[in-house]
Amino acid sequence: MGFVIAAIVTTIVIGLPVTLAIDRHQRGAGLVGLSYLYGAGSVWALLLLMSLVRMPWTVLSTTIVLVVFAALVWAFVLFRTPELPRQSARNWSSLALVVDLATAFSLAAYAMYATVARVWSWDFWAIWGLKARVFVENRGIDWSFLQSPFNDFAHPDYPLLVPMNYAYTALVSGGWDDRWMGLGWIGFTVALVLIVRSMASREVPELPAALIGFATAGAAFTRYVGLADAALVACAAAAIVMIRRYLLFEDEAAFRHGAILLGLAASTKNEGVALIATIVIAVLVHEYAGAPRSASVSPPVASRLPAVLARLWPAIAIALPWIVIRTAAHLQTDIARGSFISRAIERAGAMVPIVATLLRQMPDPWIWLFMLVGVVLMTREARAAERFTFAAVVIQLFWYVATYFGTPLDVAFHIETSWPRVARHVEIPFLFVVMIALAQAALRRETLAHAEARPDLH
Amino acid sequence: MPLRPLLSAACLAALIAVSVRFQLLTLPFVNRAPIERAMTILPDRGAWSPDYPRFLEAVRERTARGDSIALMVPARSWEGGYAYAYYRASYFLAGRTVLPVMLPNDRRLPENLNRSHYVAFWPGKPPAGTNVVFAGFRGALVRR
Repeated sequence: MGFVIAAIVTTIVIGLPVTLAIDRHQRGAGLVGLSYLYGAGSVWALLLLMSLVRMPWTVLSTTIVLVVFAALVWAFVLFRTPELPRQSARNWSSLALVVDLATAFSLAAYAMYATVARVWSWDFWAIWGLKARVFVENRGIDWSFLQSPFNDFAHPDYPLLVPMNYAYTALVSGGWDDRWMGLGWIGFTVALVLIVRSMASREVPELPAALIGFATAGAAFTRYVGLADAALVACAAAAIVMIRRYLLFEDEAAFRHGAILLGLAASTKNEGVALIATIVIAVLVHEYAGAPRSASVSPPVASRLPAVLARLWPAIAIALPWIVIRTAAHLQTDIARGSFISRAIERAGAMVPIVATLLRQMPDPWIWLFMLVGVVLMTREARAAERFTFAAVVIQLFWYVATYFGTPLDVAFHIETSWPRVARHVEIPFLFVVMIALAQAALRRETLAHAEARPDLH
Repeated sequence: MPLRPLLSAACLAALIAVSVRFQLLTLPFVNRAPIERAMTILPDRGAWSPDYPRFLEAVRERTARGDSIALMVPARSWEGGYAYAYYRASYFLAGRTVLPVMLPNDRRLPENLNRSHYVAFWPGKPPAGTNVVFAGFRGALVRR
């Protein structure tokens, strides 16, 4: 366990200068959470680079590469800002502290579950952990393993951020031992909770922000220990929350975080690649729906829209290398095999039973129900202000549902084995905006975000 | 008190309540040994447990990186047990090349027996006259 903790700590340490390079004002819980995600992303990128230049993965070579990388980024941070700005003291309420301690306790309990035994999930030892173990043995990506037709079951086309981080843990540990790898896995959930807690406290007082953190800890936990969904949920939810913050408050640092986290989400699972398209469309919805209705030219594009979309380039830049590599290595995505469209058309007539199955298999039905109740309770202005997040949730879920119509697998089997996981991918950002709005309504506060939605202010 | 703030507070409280994983929160206070046992054997249920993973560990100890190992298990079909056995072997024998003798469409691949350095039989005994490297945990590893 000590080695796994060491891997987690070093991941945060590697991610720390990256976080400050993106946002020199980031502190506290948000700094730690973002550092873990950026550290995991850095580990993935550097191990991938080492494989591409045929540098074997050893403890020594990996340590040297990571130390040099971190030193370069620190040099960049300190060159730009010799003295990092101090954060002003915050007013903590003792009740908020009690809730935060309850959140910490719940995360510790989840960590106990995730490490109660060697990681047991089928998809861990058949996909995510399998690849990591093979790569560790090979001291780099084993292309012959990925390209072997006998290993199609391991989904060789899947992005490699999560396996690379398992591999890094094995390198730090001096060998493969999956007994405590659940700790690194739950690190993604902890990182997300820290980020959400930090972001919530910028919009509501400390007690409701702490309650949002507590609820997020529960909602974000998934029992699929070892799978990449925890990493995707963390990166995707954080990306949506950050980009939302930019769109509502013009927080430039938040946009930088959002774009990079979106790229990392695309590096965890293929659903993250779809999320890039989702975010682009959701931004379009936000900007078009927010355009002044009194304009006489049709339809006016918000002046900042092209710039906003262009600034999502880090997401593409981070996701693209693996997409190019897997195309060059002929690592095919199983969903794309055969004719997706003809299968979808054939199944269009079975829409009712498919939707019924989706509703039956819906994860966390009570959370979704109360989130929808919360949307109804929100003021029209608040709903209008949160159109980006709502659009992102709906569009991403649409891609997932569409996938089931065109899947080469048995539809009921595919829904049963994936929907309870993938529907959670967008639960957290939805929960975040609804809880923020409810807290503000309960406290009878109005924020700039909701004032922004009022047409009389345009 | 106006209705919207009251209902908003109630909905907020409800969201917090339904988000909590109460069962998991009791974990620090209960005896986790039974859960550990159950989760440890979960990947290898039924007739496979506990010997199949132990056999695979033993095969790993007696083979080297790069060796190829054909897998012989008495599953009648891919979905009838061969898939599980093959995926599990791929995990425990990472670094070696595990060769299946059956495909997902249930077509047999006897040629993989000839391509391999070793053949792993589980359960059961290998044919007489073969070079048995290891026998235990109800299986045998044969060097070709």
